[in-house]
Amino acid sequence: MNDRRRVNGPPGGTRPPVYASLLQSGTGADTRAQRQRQPSDLRKIFLKTGLIPSASGSSYLEFEPSASLAAARSNPKSLIPPSSALKLACTVHGPKPLPRSAPFSPNLVLTTHVKYAPFAARRRKGHVRDSSERDLGVHLETALRGAIIAERWPKSGLDITVTILEAEDDRWWGDVPDSHDASWGMMNVLAGCISAASAAIADAHIDSEHRSIVSACVVAYMPARDEITELWLKGDSSKVSTADGDQRSGHEALIDGAVDAARGAHTVLAEAVRESLQKTLGQS
Amino acid sequence: MVGLTASLSNLSRSDGSASYKCPATGYDLLGAVNAPIELPARRDALKPEEATVEVFVKPGNTTAGVGERYVEGILRSVLSKVVLGRERGFPRRGVVITLAIVGGETLDRGDSYLTILPALLHTSLLALLSAAVPLSMTFSATLVGVNKSGAIITDLSAADAKAAASLHVLAFSSKNHLLLNQSEGRFDFDTWEQVRDRALSICKDMTTPGPDGDIAMGDEADSSRPEGFVRETVEDRLYKDYSWKIDSI
Amino acid sequence: MASSSASTAAPAAPNSLSLPPSQFARLQPHAYLLAHLSPPSSSNQPSIRANGRAPSQFRVTSANAGSLTHTNGSAVVRLGDTTAVCGVRAEILHTDDIASWSVSQSTNANKRRRIGESEKETEAKDEEDRAHIEDLNLLVPNISLSTGCAPGFIPSAPPSALAQSLSHQILSLLHTSRLVQAEDLRIWYQPPNLGPEEAQQHNDEEQMDLDAGANEEETKPAEIKAFWVLYIDIMLISLAGNPFDAAWASVLAALRDTKLPKAWWDVDNESILCSDDVKESQKLSLRGLPISSSFCVFEADAAAGWRAVVIPDAEEQKVQDSKHGSQQQKWILADPDGYEEGLVQERVYLVVDKEEGKTVIVKMEKLGGWTVDSEDLRQLVDISAQRWDEMKRILDQC
Repeated sequence: MNDRRRVNGPPGGTRPPVYASLLQSGTGADTRAQRQRQPSDLRKIFLKTGLIPSASGSSYLEFEPSASLAAARSNPKSLIPPSSALKLACTVHGPKPLPRSAPFSPNLVLTTHVKYAPFAARRRKGHVRDSSERDLGVHLETALRGAIIAERWPKSGLDITVTILEAEDDRWWGDVPDSHDASWGMMNVLAGCISAASAAIADAHIDSEHRSIVSACVVAYMPARDEITELWLKGDSSKVSTADGDQRSGHEALIDGAVDAARGAHTVLAEAVRESLQKTLGQS
Repeated sequence: MVGLTASLSNLSRSDGSASYKCPATGYDLLGAVNAPIELPARRDALKPEEATVEVFVKPGNTTAGVGERYVEGILRSVLSKVVLGRERGFPRRGVVITLAIVGGETLDRGDSYLTILPALLHTSLLALLSAAVPLSMTFSATLVGVNKSGAIITDLSAADAKAAASLHVLAFSSKNHLLLNQSEGRFDFDTWEQVRDRALSICKDMTTPGPDGDIAMGDEADSSRPEGFVRETVEDRLYKDYSWKIDSI
Repeated sequence: MASSSASTAAPAAPNSLSLPPSQFARLQPHAYLLAHLSPPSSSNQPSIRANGRAPSQFRVTSANAGSLTHTNGSAVVRLGDTTAVCGVRAEILHTDDIASWSVSQSTNANKRRRIGESEKETEAKDEEDRAHIEDLNLLVPNISLSTGCAPGFIPSAPPSALAQSLSHQILSLLHTSRLVQAEDLRIWYQPPNLGPEEAQQHNDEEQMDLDAGANEEETKPAEIKAFWVLYIDIMLISLAGNPFDAAWASVLAALRDTKLPKAWWDVDNESILCSDDVKESQKLSLRGLPISSSFCVFEADAAAGWRAVVIPDAEEQKVQDSKHGSQQQKWILADPDGYEEGLVQERVYLVVDKEEGKTVIVKMEKLGGWTVDSEDLRQLVDISAQRWDEMKRILDQC
């Protein structure tokens, strides 16, 4: 397909490189990334708000690279990365008047957009939003809608845009045949999106309803190995006082709080895993 | 710039139009201007105290792509500086210029637009004149190349342009201001100054004396020069339109 | 920042108008910037922009390369508050997938291998390099502004006119500067020198279509089996003016960071295979280091052109300007931010490179006004050359 609004590649299409070492079955398993954290260990995250001055609120979120990735970075041997670490940027524009063409709305109209950068995932992503991206957008909207007091801004719109610069995937490159962005990776991405978006909303000084952490788990569970590979809490950052002068430290406190809460929730994890997995899937 | 041909007001349903042919590069263009018109779809983007200039470039054999968007931006910036958008009836309205590339070399993805730029500029100027849009001044443009041995070449064909070390499009106003410069390739500033002088002399060598010319007259008429050419084209059209009156005198 | 500098640098703002500087800046942007740039001569202050920079000063620039996992090369460039992230992704284009390949190339490649390197042939080789990169679409840059980088760009809408023209500018600059060498993108295959029997055998296996009898003695010419295609995607995360400089710098830094795996034609698989060994991978060898610098021209009286009954001749205007000497009529601002971009029409875009200490202009664009001519441009080329040194240092460190 030829998109006249973009610079196009070769008309015949191109193929991603195939690594010879992956064709030989069996090899690679030993070099495969192993989880080195405890199941209950949370990764450190880096979250910074207010990086984009023209937006009313913004945040940048990055997960700590896994031990294997960090090792691969400092001492590169293979071009195939063992794993990746989520990196995303979120902006909030608004509340602003709805466009002339939009119908009357007594509430704040929340619009969410999630887009992978073409280079974000293992497979090159297209420029047009695909179904998984739309899906994430819907999830994000659902997660955030409850937190915002929509009645306070009639006839207004709030645009939340998340750009994923690097997506997370829990499967290794080696499993090329059937691996596209499996929902495992996507759930991490979603958790990141929610965290970043809440931070950005707080950065935009938009009041949210609950001044407590709404904690819901997004969990990735790898049935084949019967182990939990990822756990992240999505926290409603409204706990942070919206009028505070120093937001950054507020958010850091928030993240610490969320991390603590996650640790606290660990005892009920076994149940929560299954429950919230269903919940997340059920949201769509 | 030898043998340029143009005619005005070929299209009956637009406010002004012009067709333009440049034999050296082989480009054949058709331009139409509608002004002033209401642009209800762009209500939010309209400026309160002046006209909004919109330019559309349509390639002959395909739909417009990223390259056209870019050249539209260049044309818009030049033309909005020349159109007197604050005259009565113009503020909050649009001046819409549509340029169709009817013939000539097709421009591929990522190709430089420099070879066609002078033709686009001249066509839009003629179409604006045909639509009687008030202008602060007219202008003329030319393409100049520098070949690998450092010599300045003019009247470039498409093949010359491909082989050139650097290409330059310069547009000068009727008052000798440098309105536009687009240079690419590899060159140093001294070369560019030579190119500029050469381009100025190409654009300016002459100012054709009109029969009742009220602007500065040059020594001799030379319609091979872009500016004189523009003037002559307009005169031809006027002569045709007012032939009933002129004949009756 | 605006408010603090305004209180010191803009005494022209009347005190009776009890508006804080930030509101004055919004209500009367042109007057606000003008007041900064033309302090009263009595105060003896240098003219300074509303953002606290000197007219020819660029914003603080930082670059960081290689932080994105799924790319062959990547970079983040911050130009003040404008942030561009660029990722380069390499994919393979088989020559079998190129419709016109077999016809045009088989003869060409053979010829090229045999000829010496006289001047004519260098030219022919240059032309072939150009044709490979440009006609086969091996470089695919795209810039995205739909990231919420600034209000006014609707997210998930198709690329705006600005995004499209930026993509074109980057592609066009990649082509004219010939930054990427075609040879880096070619994947060669040297057919083995087969004896007649082996060749016969291979023919039986339908391995390749080779003329067994003809040139068994001669070394078979190597042939191009595939090309690397570089998808260069730029996400503008934050836009606060001057998107082109930030985007181009990120492209440059990402390409400098790009490593292509070693690739070969695998006869058994009939496809290209790559080695994942970092040691075998190759960095791109780029031609030169073209650095872009953008400028805008702020005019004291933006509407002068509209009001003048007769616009003075270029020569007359020069004389007038020199008479006005003390009262400056225009300022050329380097690396404009978003606020300044909204107040100007005339722009200058320069891309310069340095070869053995000599400044070479790769691109010079000036549009949207009539005040800048050769004298100003000469100065701007000098400023860009200084900027080149600065950017080279920044890019070398990242």
